Amino acid sequence: MTGNKTGWFVTAAITAALLGYTLVGDDEYTQHLLMWSALNAVLAVGLRFMLLVGETNIATGAFYGMGAYVAAVFTTKWNLPFPLALLAGGVLAVGVGALFGVITLRTKGPYFMLISFAFTEVVRLIYTRVEWLGGNSGIIGVFPPQGLDPYMPALTILLCGALILMMYLCEASNLGRVFQAIENNDAIVETVGIDVMHVKLLCLVIAAFALGVAGANHAFVYNVISPGDFSYLVPVFALAYVKIGGDNHVAGSILGAVLLTVLAQALQGAGALQHILFGGAIIASMLVLPDGIWGGVGRLLRKARGGAA
Amino acid sequence: MIRRRALLAGTTAVLATPYIARAADGVIKFGVFVPLSGAAASWGLGAKWVGEQAAAEINSKGGIKAGGKTYNAEVIAYENGYNSAEGGKAAQAMLNRDGVRFIIQGIGTAPVKALQSLSERTGALMMQVAWGKSVKGPQAPLTFTNSNTPFELFGPLFDLVKRKHPNAKTVALLNPNDATGQEVEAEAVKQYKARGYEILASTWYERGTTEFQPIVTKLAQTKADIMDLSGAPPADSGTVYRELSVQSWKGVKVQSSGTGADAMVKVGGAAVEDVYMGNAADFGGATATPTQRKLNEGALKALNEPVNILHMGAWDALMAIKAGMEATNSVDPKKVAAKLPEIIFESSYGPTAFGGKETYGIAQQMLVPIIVTQIKNGQTVEIERIMPEELKARLAKR
Amino acid sequence: MALSVGLFAQLLVNTLQIGAVYVLFALGLTLVFGVMKVINFAHGQFFTLAALVIAATMPEFTARFGMPAWLDYFVCFGLAFIIVGILGAVLYFVGFERYLRDLVGSFILSVGLLLFLEGIYLWLFGGAPRVVPKLLEGQVSLAGGAMESQRLVICAIALAATAALYQLVAKTRMGKALRAVAEDREAAMLQGIRYRRISFYGFMIGSGLAAISGGLIAPLTAITPALGNDYLAKAFIIIIIGGLGSIPGAILGGFLIAAVESFAGYFLDLSYATIAMFVLVMVFLLVRPQGILGVAER
Repeated sequence: MTGNKTGWFVTAAITAALLGYTLVGDDEYTQHLLMWSALNAVLAVGLRFMLLVGETNIATGAFYGMGAYVAAVFTTKWNLPFPLALLAGGVLAVGVGALFGVITLRTKGPYFMLISFAFTEVVRLIYTRVEWLGGNSGIIGVFPPQGLDPYMPALTILLCGALILMMYLCEASNLGRVFQAIENNDAIVETVGIDVMHVKLLCLVIAAFALGVAGANHAFVYNVISPGDFSYLVPVFALAYVKIGGDNHVAGSILGAVLLTVLAQALQGAGALQHILFGGAIIASMLVLPDGIWGGVGRLLRKARGGAA
Repeated sequence: MIRRRALLAGTTAVLATPYIARAADGVIKFGVFVPLSGAAASWGLGAKWVGEQAAAEINSKGGIKAGGKTYNAEVIAYENGYNSAEGGKAAQAMLNRDGVRFIIQGIGTAPVKALQSLSERTGALMMQVAWGKSVKGPQAPLTFTNSNTPFELFGPLFDLVKRKHPNAKTVALLNPNDATGQEVEAEAVKQYKARGYEILASTWYERGTTEFQPIVTKLAQTKADIMDLSGAPPADSGTVYRELSVQSWKGVKVQSSGTGADAMVKVGGAAVEDVYMGNAADFGGATATPTQRKLNEGALKALNEPVNILHMGAWDALMAIKAGMEATNSVDPKKVAAKLPEIIFESSYGPTAFGGKETYGIAQQMLVPIIVTQIKNGQTVEIERIMPEELKARLAKR
Repeated sequence: MALSVGLFAQLLVNTLQIGAVYVLFALGLTLVFGVMKVINFAHGQFFTLAALVIAATMPEFTARFGMPAWLDYFVCFGLAFIIVGILGAVLYFVGFERYLRDLVGSFILSVGLLLFLEGIYLWLFGGAPRVVPKLLEGQVSLAGGAMESQRLVICAIALAATAALYQLVAKTRMGKALRAVAEDREAAMLQGIRYRRISFYGFMIGSGLAAISGGLIAPLTAITPALGNDYLAKAFIIIIIGGLGSIPGAILGGFLIAAVESFAGYFLDLSYATIAMFVLVMVFLLVRPQGILGVAER
């Protein structure tokens, strides 16, 4: 997959164009849209990363949230520098993630999903109970350093892009093949001498790092965070991005994230309509496009080329 | 269905006026940042409707004239979900996507604070009614309050309760566990203690709770003389008072943030009789102004409920901002904000001004009467009305 | 605060009231999981719809026919039941049938349904809370614990419905088929049980139970389109602790969670109780995934 030169070229071109736009363009709202899409793309890709080993990890929402809270605390309470806050998000998520993984990765499938679901809710509820973290109302006023303000969109795209790239490279490497093998049948993988638990844990930790850093970024982009921002709905929406975009390729996750983020924002404030259209989009794509949009487009292209798979 | 009726009523109001709206040079958007569903929905829906009426009134009388141009007012409502998460997103849509620079009503301390961190930075002028003292001050020059907050209300309310029930000595409080509840509780406890009351319990509940029996059991067991549900919205208070009566608690009921009998009676029935409210008014009665009575009639038709102080704030805010724009001859939020403390403008109560510099550091509190009411026979009955001293002084100087 | 008999009775009464509805609601969810191996996140929407329909139609009925409140209620209840039944059938054939035994797929689909239906309810019924008029005046006292009379009646109905379901599952042929499919789908099919048909019945019974619990909760609380969400989270805790797919487990779990809410809510803070419940869920999933009464998966 890494050998696909067209793919790389197109990706680089799009990224460059986006970066150029963010530095030159002045439409604040579009800049925000790009940032929100970038963050949601990392969420989607991060969730998909664990899907590679066959696990649906709802705790990705918790890791993301932890990154955000760490960044908020570092900035508003301890006045520590911006890059440190970003990094700290990743570090905390890795620490907690590793602990979580060690305890829970012995379970699989639906049980792992439900545990991760419960974990995310526990973490969220803890945020609501801790006064120092703002309780139910969260933390406001999380701003990047004054000078960096106009560059936030570019920075966000670069950072998110880097995180996605990191995960993509892992997937494309031999490690990724081991992931695939585990998803297929982990008993066989064990017989070859690979410790499946360790590999799964590594997978989780990589995803946790990416999500933690992205979460920290989130805090600076939204400026206001609260426990309600990090409920189980966040990873569930990420799952929707993945499925709707197409879970066969990273590009699908990014596509799904961008499309649904834009859709959600366009519908913001439309009350009932927002729920109806967003939910409807999820339902429609689940029923009509099981391979997601990327898969659907792929099929169309193949048909156009003459039917060869 | 409510929205359709409101639209119909609004359109009719505009068409029925004898003035024809002159062609405007532009439109100014005014945001209403409120909960539109859930336990506090009636506050948001009403504020939106009243805001629309105010805009219609202004447009029918020729719009807003500033900087050599004439503008029509457009009111847009944004669902803030009564929490920071949704509020933050709605704030982004309102300020960044739609470019709104004037907000005429904000309800809910948590979402309003989220909005404020953005609006101050973006340079948008906000009128709101979040019940936190820290929301106003020199650090937030663009934030104003359009009706009374606990800081103004609780004193007179609790004084009245003390006068009418001299034998009551103990208090139990219940508040939602968020910014609104926390600010309200802090001020309430302070004011009760200052008057010699003993606080037996101060309990919290999560917004969205539907089963109140366990909490009510806790409250009933204290056997407090006064049950204060100050921070809770009408639907929740009604449920709690109803359950309290089932568990045989009797005593003095105080709902300092109580905005009207209607929503509470709907849920609580006979159990909410005699509740004292600090933020309610009978806008259909003799003490209301003609403007207020007209709005009340309209609301009864359009929304099936009377108009309350939170709703009325939207009207007063829009009128205040219009006056500010015309006084500075500009639509720049910063200029308007700087001018507002100096002017006297026509609110729904009559001539009003902004004050409160001694309390908050700058004059950002709209000076409107403090009205103490009680629920009698399911209706809101006014017991006492106090005109703020500062307003009296300002009007005398005119 | 010391635990007097009167207080204890009150807390028990609270448990009973809260638990009765939880149990019915959780039963539907666990049944659907057991038979279809599907996690229906939109289960709460059946519940909410039943309550909304009753709240919306009762005033019209009372105005038009002038029957006593409780009669109106039953008529509207029936109407709500039918409407939810139709919704259930539609959702099954259009969606869930395709995702049988696909946990992740059905999960996402049901989340989409949750949002979609909540939006529809908001649009149709509006966001303001609705109330059902009081059906029965007065209150009763059970050994010192007080509750409204209408709550007692509703409790009784809920318990009766639970008992009926239990009988259905334990004694009837369909019940045995449901259990067979839940235990071992392939063996059941070998026995001639039509899997798709039984799945359909299971789903309909599940949504029917949600509708009944929604109808029963209608007179007791303020109804908004978001009503089901709070109950859904609790229901998940209940069925995991009780045992995924286990009927007796849902009953036990339901009352257990209600007891925790009632007692912990009184002595401590309710949020801590909720945290504790979720932690308990995690512990169970790690140590005893089949819950208290479930059967370990082969």
